[in-house]
Amino acid sequence: MDSHGTPGTTHAHEHHELSFIRKYIFSEDHKIIGIQFLFTSIIFLGLGGLLALMVRIQLAWPHYEIPLIHEYFKTNGGRIHESFYNMLFTMHASVMIFFVIIPFLTGAFGNFTIPLMIGAPDMAFPKLNMMSYWVLWPAFVLISFSFFVDGGAAASGWTGYPTLSSAGMPIGGAFESPAAPGSGHGQIFWLMSLLCVGVGSMMGSVNYITTIINMRAPGMTLYRMPMTIWAMFITAILQAFALPVLTVALFFQLLDKTLGTTFFLPDGLTFGNWSPHVGGGQPLLWQHLFWFYSHPAVYIMILPAMGMVSDIISTFARRPLFGYRAMVYSIAGIAGLGFIVWGHHMFQSGMDPRLGTGFMIATIMIALPSAVKVFNWLGTIYRGNIQFTTPMLFALGFVSLFIIGGLSGIFMAATPVDIYIHDTYFIVAHIHYVLFTSSLFGIFGAIYYWFPKMFGRMMNDNLGKVHFFLTFVFGNCVFFPMHLVGIMGLRRRIPDVTAGILERNTLPLNEFMSISALILGTVQLIFVANFLWSLFFGKKADRNPWHANTLEWTTGNPVPGHGNFDTVPVVHSGPYVYGEFGAKDNCLQTEKPEPGMAGAAH
Amino acid sequence: MGNKGWSILFGVVMLACALSFAVAPMMGWWLPRGESSHAWDVDFLFYVIFWIVAFFFILTEAVLVIFLWLYASNPDGKRPVSESAEAVGFMKPVTGFLNNEHRIELAWTFIPSVILLYIAFAQVSAWADIKYAARQKDPWKSATVGKTDGGAALQMAVSARQFEWRVRYPSVERFKKWMDPKRTDKSDYDSFGKAPQADDIYVVNEIHFWEDYKITPDQNKPNDHVWRHNSVVVYLTTRDVIHSFNLPNFRVKQDALPGKMIPVWFRTAASRVEKMDGKIDERYPLHKTHNCKWDNDKNRYVDGINPDSGEKDNAFIFDLACAELCGWGHYRMIGRAFVHKDQADFLNWLEIAEKENRKRE
Repeated sequence: MDSHGTPGTTHAHEHHELSFIRKYIFSEDHKIIGIQFLFTSIIFLGLGGLLALMVRIQLAWPHYEIPLIHEYFKTNGGRIHESFYNMLFTMHASVMIFFVIIPFLTGAFGNFTIPLMIGAPDMAFPKLNMMSYWVLWPAFVLISFSFFVDGGAAASGWTGYPTLSSAGMPIGGAFESPAAPGSGHGQIFWLMSLLCVGVGSMMGSVNYITTIINMRAPGMTLYRMPMTIWAMFITAILQAFALPVLTVALFFQLLDKTLGTTFFLPDGLTFGNWSPHVGGGQPLLWQHLFWFYSHPAVYIMILPAMGMVSDIISTFARRPLFGYRAMVYSIAGIAGLGFIVWGHHMFQSGMDPRLGTGFMIATIMIALPSAVKVFNWLGTIYRGNIQFTTPMLFALGFVSLFIIGGLSGIFMAATPVDIYIHDTYFIVAHIHYVLFTSSLFGIFGAIYYWFPKMFGRMMNDNLGKVHFFLTFVFGNCVFFPMHLVGIMGLRRRIPDVTAGILERNTLPLNEFMSISALILGTVQLIFVANFLWSLFFGKKADRNPWHANTLEWTTGNPVPGHGNFDTVPVVHSGPYVYGEFGAKDNCLQTEKPEPGMAGAAH
Repeated sequence: MGNKGWSILFGVVMLACALSFAVAPMMGWWLPRGESSHAWDVDFLFYVIFWIVAFFFILTEAVLVIFLWLYASNPDGKRPVSESAEAVGFMKPVTGFLNNEHRIELAWTFIPSVILLYIAFAQVSAWADIKYAARQKDPWKSATVGKTDGGAALQMAVSARQFEWRVRYPSVERFKKWMDPKRTDKSDYDSFGKAPQADDIYVVNEIHFWEDYKITPDQNKPNDHVWRHNSVVVYLTTRDVIHSFNLPNFRVKQDALPGKMIPVWFRTAASRVEKMDGKIDERYPLHKTHNCKWDNDKNRYVDGINPDSGEKDNAFIFDLACAELCGWGHYRMIGRAFVHKDQADFLNWLEIAEKENRKRE
């Protein structure tokens, strides 16, 4: 585990050949595990995207038959059934959050970048790392199969609020739900699947924390770590503290559904004409437990992207990251405050409104570290030498659209304003600006950025730019009007926008958004084609194609198997020494910077 | 152009976003008119945040676009601006500031935190007035202005279920007792929310209340009256899953929680004499809210009537649309709010509803 060997000596490799299965499938190599996470996340991104497109089609044309699947709904006149629609958006959100964004950020990029960027030969616990991926497979199987169980997949929202999600039949009855068809077997599969995801994330976060604390290369002090690593570090801490709470909540709900406990089920429930329960539980308890995890989870889904974007921006602006320490403090600030703001999801829930006031003030103040980060990114490109490569474009797209996502959050943090916009499309707009146009933009940027180090080949930059251009334009066309329909009062989670008088006027805007969404979805095929083509036929990449400074670029292409580095790297400077100094404008972390170089202070 | 083209893309897309907010109110893509007395506060706070946010949106996006334009790499790879060069013209006054990393970090931490704290504390009192039980006037006396008694607040109990709103009203006799200036039976009034009675009136998917009535605080000056507004207290319960009592036109939203009774208070917009001394609070605009009238042909009350013109107007249909996912029928769990023009009109409806109820028995 200790990599702090004598600087410069050759690292002792064990050169025994691994079988194909040990090397590529049950691999203990962090790079392979990262790539495994990457591929599975891309596949689930496709699934989640298709679910989203079906949601959008239904919203724009609520009274038409949905192409391809209308045969399945013959009894409903070819139109999809409302509970099927509820399943669509529930599974879209669940898949995107638990199987796309989190595995992408912490699984794929956390695994790939952490040892390479701190100069470690591998993770602290390689076997645990392998298990953190394979424990997800039961989750993949359960979530995929849940579409085909009796009653369909979970359909009570990704938040799974009791009692809609958890009310059960009398003891001895079947696992169906009296509240909604999807809340029977589908919900049980959903709960079990998320439990597996949680266990996997937990294994990952323990591993990341240990690796970053113990295995940094000689000279890699904490304040010489790239921002990506800082973000991964703090994210891992967040996960380690928040996940147990979700795990407990999921278990409680699973017990409610299967063993007849009543953690979240109060007395006196009546469905139709019969009362299935003895009670004694409290549905609000689920919301507290769920959001105690899921609000920090929002930051788990954005902080690593912020870290990676910081590195990308600094690299391609050829400027030191402005306010490096302020950036670290603001990530830590977001993480700290992130634990005391969960109640802002519950202002209208029946929680004591006096608690709402406290949660509101904490929530509004969390905008501050986010604002500081935006200003620091602007400070970084100020007087830069901006190279508009594809990763840089996605990183800049992240900054410009995170501003929107951040600012719109202030509306819903304000309790009186939230009375009106709570559960409207304004919220949907906000979350998609933060998760789609921010997190996913960061992920796209990171894929284009680290692809050469992962696979030794470059992705096509021109196709990448086309991909960025269309995603940026149509992403905004899809999500920006959601603010407006939210202000008009359109509720979220409804399959037919013509049901209410107030909401009926949003139909033209909904059509516009849906057409944009279909284009946006199609455009992603450019990315898939570029990705697959470049895997095999991309231009061979140099060791350091972007002229970046961090350690992963000092090692060969492809990165040597176990061990990562031919010799243990010794770090002499911070990660962001860029500027004008003679023939080249960067200084690798393994090089000694000349005195006076910008960013060399660390 | 070359690299500078990208800054134009960012500029154009962000400008389009900003413009869509400018165009939206003209297209009617905006907040519906507020019909409750607290709607003015909610909307005011919305606009406070809106303008602050708009300012910072335009500022930061503009800075981003300008930087992308100015500092785009030259086609020959040379730096567009030397590290040691003078600042561009408009930046000159703040050059010294910009070059001091510590000072500028402090500035852009301190200034936003002051603004954010302002935003946060500006919300506190409105939120308390709308939702805190301690801030509500006692419903038993809530229509009292100065020394004049206007009766107790209208109480109704709403029980949500998949997928309808079932509303319970007091009987006509009981209602008249509550509105009597000489009323005495407070325990009967207070028990309404907790205990249903045999003569209660049940209505599905319609909530009825009335707009306002005229009172004269000083009996010696009969023409010096105040339009005093009626308070509504809703005792909200659900018997199966979580629903949300959502009257967007009234800026009212409250989840109904299984196993709990949650009170909801609001008043219609027509008058805002909420000062304890009975004076009119001049800040607020005053408009009529009542939206229903008796229709002889249909033999029932119809809503969606513009109070000024008396004509049919969809802007005056007030949906009571469930806002928390409650199952397959969630989207169509929509009731209507009927606002009668005065207490007499409401009473007229209540008598009809009572007859309907008794007919079924």
